[in-house]
Amino acid sequence: MMRAVLAIARKDLTLTLARGGGLVQALLLGLLLLFMFSLSQEVGERMSPQGAAAIFWLASAFCQVLIFNALYGLEEVHGARQGLALLPCPVQAVWIGKALAGLALLLLAQTLFVPATVIFLGQDMSGEWWWALAVLLLADLGMALLGSLLGALSQGQAAKESILSIVLFPLLAPLLLAGIRVGAGLFAGRTAEGVTQWIGVAAAFDALFAAAGLVLFAYIYPGEE
Amino acid sequence: MASALLELRGIAKFYGHRCVFRAVDLVVARGTVQLLTGANGAGKSTLMRLMAGLQRPNAGSCACHAAEGRVAYLGHATFLYPGLTALENLAFWKKAQGSRLTEADLMALLERVGLERHAHERAGIFSRGMAQRLNLARALLVAPELLLLDEPGTGLDSRAAVMLREEIVQARQRGAGIVWISHDVAADAPFADKVLTLEQGRLHEGGQGAATP
Repeated sequence: MMRAVLAIARKDLTLTLARGGGLVQALLLGLLLLFMFSLSQEVGERMSPQGAAAIFWLASAFCQVLIFNALYGLEEVHGARQGLALLPCPVQAVWIGKALAGLALLLLAQTLFVPATVIFLGQDMSGEWWWALAVLLLADLGMALLGSLLGALSQGQAAKESILSIVLFPLLAPLLLAGIRVGAGLFAGRTAEGVTQWIGVAAAFDALFAAAGLVLFAYIYPGEE
Repeated sequence: MASALLELRGIAKFYGHRCVFRAVDLVVARGTVQLLTGANGAGKSTLMRLMAGLQRPNAGSCACHAAEGRVAYLGHATFLYPGLTALENLAFWKKAQGSRLTEADLMALLERVGLERHAHERAGIFSRGMAQRLNLARALLVAPELLLLDEPGTGLDSRAAVMLREEIVQARQRGAGIVWISHDVAADAPFADKVLTLEQGRLHEGGQGAATP
């Protein structure tokens, strides 16, 4: 199964990074969001750390949606989804492979969003960065696991699948909240209050999304059209 | 009697209230070619997708005895990634299927289907016929025990059609069981052991093919 997981992740990264499929739009949308919010401030005004962190994670969340739509769209061009369904391994290999590729692309996008937040929203990163990095990695992992499920759902045409997407998307809220709270601490030059609890929350939701993905993916990504 | 690779018993498929076919029994033995024919909309592709495990029947059972990962399905969709080269497409499916073929093996496979000069070109610029050749190479990656071919001649020129029939003969000689949907019965029946016709929801044996044992 791991060979299939790695093959899918590598293929998705090749098509997205080397062939430019889908990542540019996601990056532009995130950067545009950060820039647009910067226009809401007066010249020389500094946005609150909480607000800046919220905008950073909003940009990351929208970017994640576009990334996973693009990743799952790769299989729809010539019906490769059926080929993946016929692989001699559990179909969850597709979910994990795409989650890995999506996680790498999201981290790449955030390497641009972090300096953009500092520049456009007038922040500095004087807080304890290792806490923020730990929460960022955990939040990104959860977003990738859930995003991989949402991306699979977004390829379906049935109304019930659209409704499922609407139900699942708010589940990101605890991860975004953890990221915002700890990120605000970083931008404010202090350690966020209750940082270990937020790490616990993010890790718990990661585990929940991993379990949900393992159970649900086979139902929402069948080989049948 | 050669051992069975695939057994369909009492298979029925409905789309809503419409019966596509029912009471279909079919046994695919090792080293045999079964040519499946029928009019457009008769349900041939649906039956093939059931055999591949891409659809479930509403009734009946479908038992596949081929080794895991040794079933190849060549359908209407080519399963190709237009952004990858021909070689990269094969390399991806090879890795995903857990095959141990080397890059030299993949190049040899591309040579067999006449695409060696296009190995490093992106599949997105391929004609329908070239894409179908690459699709055939993908299907042959796993040295299939059970080969399910749904109109594999689509888009192929006369030379490629000859190559396709040679590959089918070779696969049969290696002991593969083959189900082959074709509309050109006159040309393809000589390569089949049995001709089956799907008509009005029933599978009939439409005559003995001319393939030699």
